[in-house]
Amino acid sequence: MTAIAPAQVTAATSATDTQPISPGPKGRRGLVITFVLAVVALFWISPLALLVITAVRPLADFVGNGPLSWPDHLTWTNFKDAWDIGNFATTYRNSAILAAIKVPLGVLVSAMLGFALAKLRMKFRRTVMFAVFLGLTIPIYITIVPVFIMMRQAGLTDNIFGLIGPYLAFGIPFEVLVLQSFFRQIPDEIIEAAKVDGAGDWRVFFTMILPLSVPALVTVAILDAVATWNEFLFALILLNSDAHKTIPVGLLNFQGQFANNNTGLAAGILIAVVPILIAYTLLQRWIVGGLTAGSLKG
Amino acid sequence: MAGTAAIPKPKRGGRWSPWLFAIPALAVYVAFLVYPAVSSLFFSLTNWDGLSATYKFVGLSNYFKLPHDPVVVTAVKNNLIWTVVTIAVPTVIGLVLAIALNGKVHGKPILRLIFYTPAVLPLVSIASIWGWLYNPQYGAINSLLRAIGLDGLAQPWLGQDSTALWAVMVPAIWLRTGFPMLLYLAALQGIPNELYEAATVDGASKWQQFWHVTMPSLRPAHYIVLALSLIDSFKVFDMIYAMTYGGPGTSTQVMGTWMYFNVFQYYQAGYGTAIAVVITLVAIAVGIPYVRSQTREAS
Repeated sequence: MTAIAPAQVTAATSATDTQPISPGPKGRRGLVITFVLAVVALFWISPLALLVITAVRPLADFVGNGPLSWPDHLTWTNFKDAWDIGNFATTYRNSAILAAIKVPLGVLVSAMLGFALAKLRMKFRRTVMFAVFLGLTIPIYITIVPVFIMMRQAGLTDNIFGLIGPYLAFGIPFEVLVLQSFFRQIPDEIIEAAKVDGAGDWRVFFTMILPLSVPALVTVAILDAVATWNEFLFALILLNSDAHKTIPVGLLNFQGQFANNNTGLAAGILIAVVPILIAYTLLQRWIVGGLTAGSLKG
Repeated sequence: MAGTAAIPKPKRGGRWSPWLFAIPALAVYVAFLVYPAVSSLFFSLTNWDGLSATYKFVGLSNYFKLPHDPVVVTAVKNNLIWTVVTIAVPTVIGLVLAIALNGKVHGKPILRLIFYTPAVLPLVSIASIWGWLYNPQYGAINSLLRAIGLDGLAQPWLGQDSTALWAVMVPAIWLRTGFPMLLYLAALQGIPNELYEAATVDGASKWQQFWHVTMPSLRPAHYIVLALSLIDSFKVFDMIYAMTYGGPGTSTQVMGTWMYFNVFQYYQAGYGTAIAVVITLVAIAVGIPYVRSQTREAS
């Protein structure tokens, strides 16, 4: 899991679309920079491009002509083989169930704590914040031995539900950090007005804070879904049988089985990353906005 | 920023109300992060093997063993190299890309998308992709070297001590460049144009403008990038585990993987957790200034 924690998130407007600042000669110079950047970008994306090309060509063609040649014809059989042998129907289902439970639950409890820290008169507020944000620095592997013992005692090893608690705990610091700083920007006046009208804290939270914070909630949910989908260490130690593995652990196994089938391996890697790539491409405005907006203006 | 003060004490709900909101998250956080982390402190003082029901309290002897373990020495060295390289290189490339993207460039959104894409892929898939590119026989990297007549440079990148650690760092750099790029890009757009105009009037060259206007204005961004990279680099585990398994030999072991092998393969859970405790204490120590800055701002 990557600790990506901006100081604050404002409404997810992507600041990167405003006008460039550096003056200087226009036209030609811009074209030169564009050309250089395009070459670098092509180089940057080449591992993925090569993966796609390899995944759609026959193995014999790959072996005969080498990885850098253009495919002589295209085929889908690699995907079919990889899907069946890689057990992807199962690992996809497991990862999807896990994300569907973990992400909304994590965002809800984090939003509640964030609300208490940002808008309620809470004792020991700074101590709680410090203790929770400190979680950003703690490596997962300090907890694996006790977590493994806890889960074994609870009978939750080799069960994706055993992952929910640890995943929630390691997601909370980042989610609370982002959400509380967003909530703080909601004016106190509108909350006071609601209180005068007789609304309690819960009503304020559900009918005002949450609806006003949709951009921040979506950003946090997307980043959390990516982190959940990609998590590896807890899944590696807690899940044993193939029927219960998630995508990252399944992929590791798969890699071993396909050591000599380069086209099948490429297809399998692609199958594992395609949902993330599609989600990222569709939702990148939110991700970019969430990562950058406001984090430097505080 | 508006509304930093807490709202007046509510008439209903009382002083317990904030805790009702806080407790679900705090309970999960304590049960699955704080409590296990603290229990590891205890296990690190025992000779537990990770399997049997009994173990003995051995005080600090696991910690005294650390400096005499040659793999720990290698792991610490690798952790340090890893940290320096995977912070410095992505930060510099990210800054250069951000400055380039901040100019008059066509297709900005697509370029930004491409450079950030590796950051969202599962680490295991990145490890698989690069393991495949590095394949001595069929990998694209050796094939490319042979194609351009540099046959002599083709080698088993991940399979030999001299290159394995560097070969694992390349995908880490690929993965980690996007974040500083995005952050710097946002920061660059916050620098007022007047600063550059004034510098131009004073006759400052482009290079002088960079050092005297751009770099100082980016200070908050530098801070966040460095703090988060440092925290992240210390935790390295997934990439090394999935790419080289710490090998060949022990040439790519880091503290995280060595901890894992001790606990789950050599049945030395006590010693393994001592390794984890050490790296955690270092990670917390380097992270505290960042955590404090985030807490202070809120008060």
